Amino acid sequence: MRWDIKSLVGEDCITIEDGEKIYDLIHPVLLAGHEVELDFAGVGVFASPFFNAAFGRLLKDFTPEHLDRMLKILNLTPVGRDTLKLVIKNSVQYYSDPAFQKALNEILVEQSEEL
Amino acid sequence: MLTVSIPTINDEQRDFDRLFNLWHQVNDDFLKVTFDFSQCGFLRQNAVAFLGGLARMIEQRFGTVTFDWNTLQENIRTNLAQNGFIAAFEHRGRPWHGNSIPYREDISMDKEVLVDYLKTKWLERGWVHVSTALRDAIIGRVSEIYVNAFEHGESEIGVFSCGQHYPSLGVLKLSVVDFGVGIPSNVRVFMHNPRISAESALKWAFQSGTTTKPNGSGRGLGLDLLKKFVEINHGRLEVLSHEGYALIESGQEAYAKRNSYFEGTVVNITLRCDEKYYCLSSETLDESLFS
Repeated sequence: MRWDIKSLVGEDCITIEDGEKIYDLIHPVLLAGHEVELDFAGVGVFASPFFNAAFGRLLKDFTPEHLDRMLKILNLTPVGRDTLKLVIKNSVQYYSDPAFQKALNEILVEQSEEL
Repeated sequence: MLTVSIPTINDEQRDFDRLFNLWHQVNDDFLKVTFDFSQCGFLRQNAVAFLGGLARMIEQRFGTVTFDWNTLQENIRTNLAQNGFIAAFEHRGRPWHGNSIPYREDISMDKEVLVDYLKTKWLERGWVHVSTALRDAIIGRVSEIYVNAFEHGESEIGVFSCGQHYPSLGVLKLSVVDFGVGIPSNVRVFMHNPRISAESALKWAFQSGTTTKPNGSGRGLGLDLLKKFVEINHGRLEVLSHEGYALIESGQEAYAKRNSYFEGTVVNITLRCDEKYYCLSSETLDESLFS
């Protein structure tokens, strides 16, 4: 399946709502074992909440290698790619390492006790 | 009836104390409040955004707000007319182009409107000479402020912003204020720990990967991305919430406890108007995206 992002959410991929719209489209297709192509031509502005909502949660059900094979991202600007890569790296860490979030939280408690 | 004297307000530490003192003065359910400007010699963009929010907060509690415009010095009157503040409350006059970046109130996240504001009122006026791609990159990073404010702020009266261009300093400033629950409150509730200090909560929120959204889609990169962007730009980012204070500037990242308290969140960002301070992309197009 192939979708044109600009026609779905416009020229700015910023919000969680828009990201969820994309997630809801592609998640069942990927679960069914089909390939997905997303074309970002004409989209210029990106923020992390969009990518978190659209792709971050996919790491719960799929490995990064599987997504590289089955989810093709086309015409994404360099800044969009950088932002997406950060989001993915973060999500991989979150879903693959249960101690990650716990460690972050423990840092907070330790800091508070020191103050 | 309460008359509140608005002092001169810049955007240094003591100026935030002054703003938060104003919030304390009107936060006790006064139904009729008059803002008097006779002691005011200057208002920066952070003060304009904050004052707008204060006025809406009072109105939301079924109070009435009167701005005593007659007490305004002429230079401030011109500034408040130019940036649209007076028009927002008096429904008369029209703002015009100048070094002020318009005052605005947003009750919800309308991305088209906000991106247009950042593109046409903030960046695309010849102040920052950047390519379209770089402009979009900057807007993407700055929009993280708004997404955060609407997603986490829980501000019933919305989000207030105002900016200013300082040609002699070569900088653009933007202040975004919400009157919601504040970052420390969100972090304490999420962590089930009321003892977490405000400054620790801010430090936690700035770390990559932290979020107060339980198992949701957000994974908390916004403040971290914004921090890195400001570092690249040699700019300045300040976040004030409750007594907590975060400062990102010149390679330093500092978190501190302040003496004054404000329940919501203020974000103050200063960016340099020169393309040499922007390098946002690694241009690594050949790498795989997910692994």
